[in-house]
Amino acid sequence: MSELIQIGGMNERPKPPRPEDLSLRFSDRAIRELEALETHYPERKACILPALWIAQREYGGYLSGEALAEVAFRLDRSYAEIEGVATFYSMYNTAHPVGRHMIEVCTCLTCQICGAYPIAEYLKEKLGVGFGETTSDGVFTLHEVECLDACDRAPLIQVGDEYYGPVDKAYLDNLLDRLRSEAASSVVKLADEIVQVHLRETERDR
Amino acid sequence: MAAAPTTDTVTISINDVEIEVPKGELIVDAVKRLGLEIPIFCYHSRMKPVGMCRMCLVEVGFKQPDGSVRKMPKPQAGCTLPASEGMAVYTDTELVHKDRRGVLEFLLINHPLDCPICDRGGECPLQNNTLFYGPSTSRFIELKRHLPKAFPLSRYVTLDLERCIQCGRCVRFTEEISGDAQLAFRFRGANMQPTSFQLTEFESKFSGNVIEICPVGALTSTKYRFRARPWDLETKPAICTVCSNGCSVWFDYRVGKFVRLNGRVNEAVNEEWTCDRGKFGHDFYNSPKRLLAPALRKEDALRTANWAEAYAAILEAFEPGGNAVAALTGPMVSNESYYLLQKLFRGVFRSNNLDHRWTRHLSAASDRLESKMGMPTVATSIEAFEHKSAVLAIGTSLADEEPILFLRLRKAWFKNGTKVVVACDRDTDADSFAHLVLRYRPGTEMALAGGLLAAAVESGRATVPDPVREDLKRYSPSAAASATGVPEDRIREAADILGPNAAIVTTHRLLDVADAQGTLEYLAGLAMCLRAEFNLYALGANDQGALELGIHPELLPSGVALADAEAAAEVGRTMGIEIPREPGLGTHELLRACADGRIKALWLVGCDPFALHADRDLVQRALEGVEFLVVQDIVETEATSYASVILPMLGPAEQDGTYTNMERRVQRLRQVIPDAGDAKPAWRIFAEAMLRAQPQTPFFSAEEIMEEIARVAPAFEVARYDRLGHEGTRL
Ligand code: SF4
Ligand code: FES
Ligand code: FES
Repeated sequence: MSELIQIGGMNERPKPPRPEDLSLRFSDRAIRELEALETHYPERKACILPALWIAQREYGGYLSGEALAEVAFRLDRSYAEIEGVATFYSMYNTAHPVGRHMIEVCTCLTCQICGAYPIAEYLKEKLGVGFGETTSDGVFTLHEVECLDACDRAPLIQVGDEYYGPVDKAYLDNLLDRLRSEAASSVVKLADEIVQVHLRETERDR
Repeated sequence: MAAAPTTDTVTISINDVEIEVPKGELIVDAVKRLGLEIPIFCYHSRMKPVGMCRMCLVEVGFKQPDGSVRKMPKPQAGCTLPASEGMAVYTDTELVHKDRRGVLEFLLINHPLDCPICDRGGECPLQNNTLFYGPSTSRFIELKRHLPKAFPLSRYVTLDLERCIQCGRCVRFTEEISGDAQLAFRFRGANMQPTSFQLTEFESKFSGNVIEICPVGALTSTKYRFRARPWDLETKPAICTVCSNGCSVWFDYRVGKFVRLNGRVNEAVNEEWTCDRGKFGHDFYNSPKRLLAPALRKEDALRTANWAEAYAAILEAFEPGGNAVAALTGPMVSNESYYLLQKLFRGVFRSNNLDHRWTRHLSAASDRLESKMGMPTVATSIEAFEHKSAVLAIGTSLADEEPILFLRLRKAWFKNGTKVVVACDRDTDADSFAHLVLRYRPGTEMALAGGLLAAAVESGRATVPDPVREDLKRYSPSAAASATGVPEDRIREAADILGPNAAIVTTHRLLDVADAQGTLEYLAGLAMCLRAEFNLYALGANDQGALELGIHPELLPSGVALADAEAAAEVGRTMGIEIPREPGLGTHELLRACADGRIKALWLVGCDPFALHADRDLVQRALEGVEFLVVQDIVETEATSYASVILPMLGPAEQDGTYTNMERRVQRLRQVIPDAGDAKPAWRIFAEAMLRAQPQTPFFSAEEIMEEIARVAPAFEVARYDRLGHEGTRL
């Protein structure tokens, strides 16, 4: 909502995309998964959450407007409803494109006591970004999160589907180097893991 | 108020007063039976309760065997709580008052309190609840949140996000009522925003309703924004005259000028909704192009004249009468005016050259069906759709053509599971809830209608006379399938769904297609065989009235055919005139006759042929060809520049009159705003012309005309002003 018109001005908004103009990007595998999911529930509406995970994987970790529209189209729901659901949950990346790896620093009580803030500051300085930002090379996105439910390992960070902790600066240097050399996106991997959890053993296909 | 004896009731106590209420009735509604009120924001009686705002908290307990009441530890939301036996509700305890103050204080923290410049100030549920139930002071000294103040959601709706209290009414309206689900809450918590997908245009055809149901000033009308303070507005009940549904509305005006339109409750028609076309379609009252004084063409220019000069010129030009004169009408004219127009033409000008129809096929119009098949063309009331088991809507996009019927049909599906079959050559909004969609190729309506009838015959559910059976051979379901492109099994399934409790719906739009007459006969036949109801609904505000009251070259008021000499003479006697025997010309013929000079004088009543007729060229030749053209209208149109005489006419809300909607409901619209300039009601213009032509006692009011209509067309007996019900009455 940046380009806000205050008073006066015509109420002209861009039109929502028409279904025939959507460029659908779900792979065959994604379509198979979605079809399998639809058999799990009495209504397609119930598939919205797993379908969004599929989309987050298929669209490289970021649920763009097109990704949301594709989910809506495939589930025959309204665009707005899908966007409403996606923006409600913080693990769907709807705000902006994310890097290959998303570093989520827990700053909740235990981690804080155990030094989460110096860790966070170190990461910010080292990556040159603040919370919610992505490095210019598109490798890392830094986020602050609430308790990750692993306080025994404080200070803790999460990258993709892995928890790392307790961490210190040396550990982080190492980890960042390793992650930087990994070509596969851990954000996408996390999405895929979650999709697989939704599927039955027989429906998984890898 | 005792509950209806047929429903299960339970006994509950409200503030220790025992009362019997229907089982499961929500507590917010139940307390009204005792004249009490529970404050609400998110609850709306036409939508499912969601319990989002917590304004309606009450204390609830249950009667124990020893007679004491055991209260639940926490207050409950009255809008989600169904009444059950032995429930004890308290709406007036210290705890409840404290809760209400708390909820309001919480809501007001984030509310900008810009009431002085808010459209809603003075009619705002948030203000009202705060006044009666809220804290008198604020403890909030922190910074208020700031959000977009004028976000353009759609052409008509501007969102002030700071004011939103996140009740979800608007979101639920688009999901449950209009069905387009174009709004949703994005984000959560304090950041939750009711917006459209990716901030694209909120494209609903019913978007205006959210302005009214928003309990604060968050959703505002783009047209009305900052135009008035609600307490400056006067309001009167009116009906909308933009389409044939005839919604009940409140007509708000300020110093005699129309300002805005709000929905008015009429359970039989629009419940409380309006469509955008109607809600925002009344600008013509304030149009700078309003016609305010008669004008007369002298030499090459139109000059302001007085009424006497105008009448004199008109009577002279129409003097030849008979085939040399004609009149065409538009849809926004009252029953009384239509009646008087045809009386003027038949009685004074001795001419049947009258028409109100602008569709491609005229002969196919309802009259033929009535006389040929004995099938009424309007059978189902809007309200009755709720209880139909199946409905076939064919050849029409209901949301565009009959918007309020669309909402009712959607409700029927949503609430009662009515199976809706939508047959149209393009996508329609009704597809979203259709049980079956039959997408036929444009121009193949007749094949589809024939195919449906043939399928019903084949399945043994319908029997038709042998000649029809022979005729239907060409439309066996498989033949129909290949002609229309609709799969054969769908045709069969659609025919199977229809039965005695079904209705077939189409509109005058179908009269624009190639084989309109055949299509209509098959559809009417299908309805007849299955004992379903058939409806061919009108599109213009009072098209149905024009038809019933003889704005037709071959039909007299009450639908009496001119060809039936005896009946026609009888109608003439009641009207006190002699009916000319020679039938008139239909719109197209009539325009052609104007073009080649056979018709010398043409009177256009509230219609712009350029806008209504498909053949622009013909219209132009007609208006140029006719010697004398009277254009009687509310605003200047393209036709006015061809006029010999311009007669300014008052709009529907500026005069008294009745209108017949598509379900044949006659509704009265009393004068709301004062006369504009020198303009007159259409009926008065005709009455004065009649008086000048033939000395007689003129009609002094619309009511007197209705008295005469009721004598001439007995169906209108129920429409006499002293009988007409509050919600109008169906003929
Ligand atoms: S905009 Fe109005 S109706 Fe919609 S959620 Fe906000 S307060 Fe409720
Ligand atoms: S009215 Fe009951 S919670 Fe909103
Ligand atoms: S007065 Fe503005 S929101 Fe109520």
